[in-house]
Amino acid sequence: MKALLQQVKGDKVIWSVVVILSLFSLLLIYSTTDRLALEHNTTPFKFLLSQIFYLVLGLATVYIFHRIKYTRFMKWSVYLFLASIPLLLYTLFFGTELNSGSRWIAIPFVGVTIQTSDLAKLAIFTFLARQLSLKQKVIGNFWKGFFPVLLPVLIICGLIAPANLSTALLLGATCCFMFFIGRIPMKFILLLIVAGLGLVLCIFAISKLTGKGRGGTWQKRIEVFMGKNADADDTYQTDQANIAIANGRLTGRGPGNSYAKNFLPHPYSDFVFAIVIEEYGLIGASALMFCYLLFLWRSINIFRRCPYAFGAFLSIGLSFTLVFQAMINMAVAVHLVPVTGQTLPFVSKGGSSIVFTAMAVGVILSVSRYVDEMEGKQQLVKQIEKEQRDKEALAAAQNN
Amino acid sequence: MAAQQKSSVKRDISRRVNLSFGAIVLLGAAIVIKAGMTQANDGERLRAQANRSFSDIETLYPDRGNIYTEEGKILSATIPKFDLKMDLSVINKDTFYNNVDTLCDALATILKDETAASLKQRMKEGFRRKSRYWTLKNKVAYYDYQLIRNLPLLRKPKNKGGFMPEPQMKRMNPYGMLAYRTIGLWRENAQIIGLEKSYDTDLSGRTGTRIIHKVGGQWVPLVGSEIEAVEGHDIVSTIDIDIQEVTEHALHDIMAQYECLQGTAIVMEVETGKIRAIANLGRQKNGEYWEDFNYAMIPSEPGSVFKLMSLYALLEDGYVNANTMVNCNGGQMRFGTQTVRDDHGGLGSITVEKAFAQSSNVAFASLVNKYYHDNPMKYIKHLQHLGLNQKTNLDLAGERKPLIKTPESKSWNKITSLPWIGYGYESMITPLHTCMVYNAVANNGKMMQPYLVSAVKEDGKVIRQIEPKVLIEKIGKESTIKQLQQVTRAVVREGTAKAAQSPFYTAAGKTGTAQVADKIGDVFYSYADGVKQGSFVGYFPAEKPRYTIAVVIRSKPHGVYYGAALGVPVFKAIADKLYTTKIGGWKVDADSLGKDKMLVAKAAPPGQLQYLLKMLGYTAYQENSNAMLSFLQNDAQHKLKIASKEVKTNIVPDVVGMGIKEALYLLENAGLKVHISGAGSVNRQSIPAGSNYKKGQTINLELS
Repeated sequence: MKALLQQVKGDKVIWSVVVILSLFSLLLIYSTTDRLALEHNTTPFKFLLSQIFYLVLGLATVYIFHRIKYTRFMKWSVYLFLASIPLLLYTLFFGTELNSGSRWIAIPFVGVTIQTSDLAKLAIFTFLARQLSLKQKVIGNFWKGFFPVLLPVLIICGLIAPANLSTALLLGATCCFMFFIGRIPMKFILLLIVAGLGLVLCIFAISKLTGKGRGGTWQKRIEVFMGKNADADDTYQTDQANIAIANGRLTGRGPGNSYAKNFLPHPYSDFVFAIVIEEYGLIGASALMFCYLLFLWRSINIFRRCPYAFGAFLSIGLSFTLVFQAMINMAVAVHLVPVTGQTLPFVSKGGSSIVFTAMAVGVILSVSRYVDEMEGKQQLVKQIEKEQRDKEALAAAQNN
Repeated sequence: MAAQQKSSVKRDISRRVNLSFGAIVLLGAAIVIKAGMTQANDGERLRAQANRSFSDIETLYPDRGNIYTEEGKILSATIPKFDLKMDLSVINKDTFYNNVDTLCDALATILKDETAASLKQRMKEGFRRKSRYWTLKNKVAYYDYQLIRNLPLLRKPKNKGGFMPEPQMKRMNPYGMLAYRTIGLWRENAQIIGLEKSYDTDLSGRTGTRIIHKVGGQWVPLVGSEIEAVEGHDIVSTIDIDIQEVTEHALHDIMAQYECLQGTAIVMEVETGKIRAIANLGRQKNGEYWEDFNYAMIPSEPGSVFKLMSLYALLEDGYVNANTMVNCNGGQMRFGTQTVRDDHGGLGSITVEKAFAQSSNVAFASLVNKYYHDNPMKYIKHLQHLGLNQKTNLDLAGERKPLIKTPESKSWNKITSLPWIGYGYESMITPLHTCMVYNAVANNGKMMQPYLVSAVKEDGKVIRQIEPKVLIEKIGKESTIKQLQQVTRAVVREGTAKAAQSPFYTAAGKTGTAQVADKIGDVFYSYADGVKQGSFVGYFPAEKPRYTIAVVIRSKPHGVYYGAALGVPVFKAIADKLYTTKIGGWKVDADSLGKDKMLVAKAAPPGQLQYLLKMLGYTAYQENSNAMLSFLQNDAQHKLKIASKEVKTNIVPDVVGMGIKEALYLLENAGLKVHISGAGSVNRQSIPAGSNYKKGQTINLELS
């Protein structure tokens, strides 16, 4: 154990945040799976065990990935990106339908279902880090610089969109963040946003006209968010989330004492933040928020210290995505944006999504480990140089 | 130059990262602020909503499973009844007055218990008061409800016709008192007994829930929130209602004749251990009998039937055999300050077989004392081996733990305990234990687990079959079993149970008589009260045993108590009936019973009539095999016909001449409370046939 702990490298603050979030998640899962347990004729303890399993698997994944030299991900990102295209296609046509969006595929023999969009997200962000770092010199040129970066994003988003528009849109938005950081000129980005919105409107119009696809769902969600044309059945989710928020006040009702968990659909995933507010109050929720921001801040630190563009972009891209997703989940829970169905990383009840999130964190920590070691070496070099100088000075003095 | 460019690029990126981080922090702040605003602005209203008046969790109740016999007869069932309510305030005035006459006429025809005029008057009154919850009639049966809901006005939608039927589930035991303690009766919020209790988890199913919330003043279930209720499973009981009836009947006869206090009779199938009947009767203050307590499962001092267990130990250890001579010492023997006495005077020196057949207390007390005095545990271990120190684990709630003392027990007396246990005192075992041990002897040494439920069903399909379970493959040596069978036969052939002899079959068993000093139910008796326990435990046919029957009856103070007088006749009555219906049939010529005479048969289930006619050599065709009751008639072509007897619910049926089972079925289904006195078939009924009655009214039946 001690030997294993010594092998744990990289930013200790990020490690701590991951462990704290995991432990916090256990409290919430045990509290919020009452109804789910009733539905499956079991006890919340079973879901707690499953969550423990996935979190341990997640921590192991972080550990394994952070031991891998990050430069290897440069090559892997290409393979992962290429592999994700057929997987997404397969999901689109043969995937399991949940809430009438086909998003999941079952891995044969293992009995696990994975959300391919999670895999694709990981693929596109590592690939994007690679592309941005390679194209920095020609970044101002549309065809030479922007296009090679844009194309993979369009492909992935295009494949996710038919089944899960909100995830695709969110992915697109995060990529725009990456573009901005990666010094893509603003005019290109604005152009992309306008084009993207136009495309979405087109798809929406076609879906409404043909009656196929999820156009209806989107319209309803937006309308409900705007407070238009909504009856009590439609606003039920947000009403209950608001009740949870109101119940929480400043300090919360205490762990396990949520009232709304009995009435709120998916209190353990999409709306878990509302339960956080109800049980731990605004103070507890702010602390959770702080954890994610701290994680982002430490990742930015790694970015600053990393001398190579690829590592810098990896750390910044993956951390921004993760935290942005967390922000969107929380924003949905407090009714700041329409319902999208994003999970809260490490906290929501989950299976494969925890593992994919863990991979991302593992990659960030791998960069961090490299930076630490490199700086250590530089210090060593400096120290050796200094000793050398001292020696020379001593020798010179002796000669004198 | 390149290095400078690179560092400027890095500075540019760094600036953008800071900007983005700032944006994220702002978003985070916005989220917390939005939550805070929700709390500040709408907090009061939302917290007020967070109570049961806006959303609630509704429980969905499953249907309780039924209890069947192995032949598929219903022992206990849930049937829906409907409380018919109306919201008279929503009905249009013209519509109401146009329809009310027709409606009430039709209702009166269907419901039969209220005249159309009275209905009309009540309904008009309700309409004038604009009653929102007017009771048309409560507890309406399903088929009546089906007719009623198609009547004018009532078939209109709820907001126009105001019809609000409320389904209620009611548990029914169609056979009333028969095996009442064993089947049990389920009532909401009441203590459950019998199989209803021990199989409650199977029967009750699982409740579901759903969220309901208020939409525009109406409770509406939230789509997708339903967790469906799982319907209860049906269970199949080994109880045979025909055997149960004869058992209850036979027990009742004797108990009523001698005014006995409490009694039980158990019928167990030898090969399987299936309990085919358990009757438990207790005398009520008014002198009637009721299934009021699980006497079969309450331990008491067994008395002489326990001598079989002592003999089992002696034979197993090879100390005696059936022909060993034993001195009965002139009918009494002293152990310390206490004396063991024989009931029937001195028997002198006789064989063990004769001592058993004549039930000599002295012989068994002295034999056990003689051989086990130095090592009482050797004897006790045999009793423990038979499982007498543990519950029988019959799948019925309410069994109490038996007691077999050991030398370590506090109440063990070094001088008297061993001989007293030897002839049936100081131990506490249930009648079921005794039945189980005798059944093992009948079953050539194989001890079977007694059980009451043979299958659990879901939608008519068996999901759990409960097979007979062997407790002990062979309780003892072959010679031991053979000799135990031999001596139990001797009891009937030439001993205390000669009355159990039959020209058609051979029975075997053992009588027992014990003084009672314990508390059963709420009554405490000491030896001085003179309450005695007479029992007979036996099996038949001795050559190839099919049933073991245990009868244990407690006398009234200083009343008739010998096992021979109380237990044996009950055994005989049950065995006779079992023999005719389940085993051999008669070996007499049916023709001799007079073929040409006119046939007069009482109302009976069609199967039984058919059987009777077949035995007599007649043939009759059957009109409806599903009828519960039928009677015999000559149709227009003078052919014998088994016609179903109609059960009318508005007038008291004629039950004179019927068996108790049929009478109970008719009267209890009609909603009457039945009290029984006497035994046999119905001789007189207190409310004349054809008269009107109120539900719940008591009818007294005199049997003869």
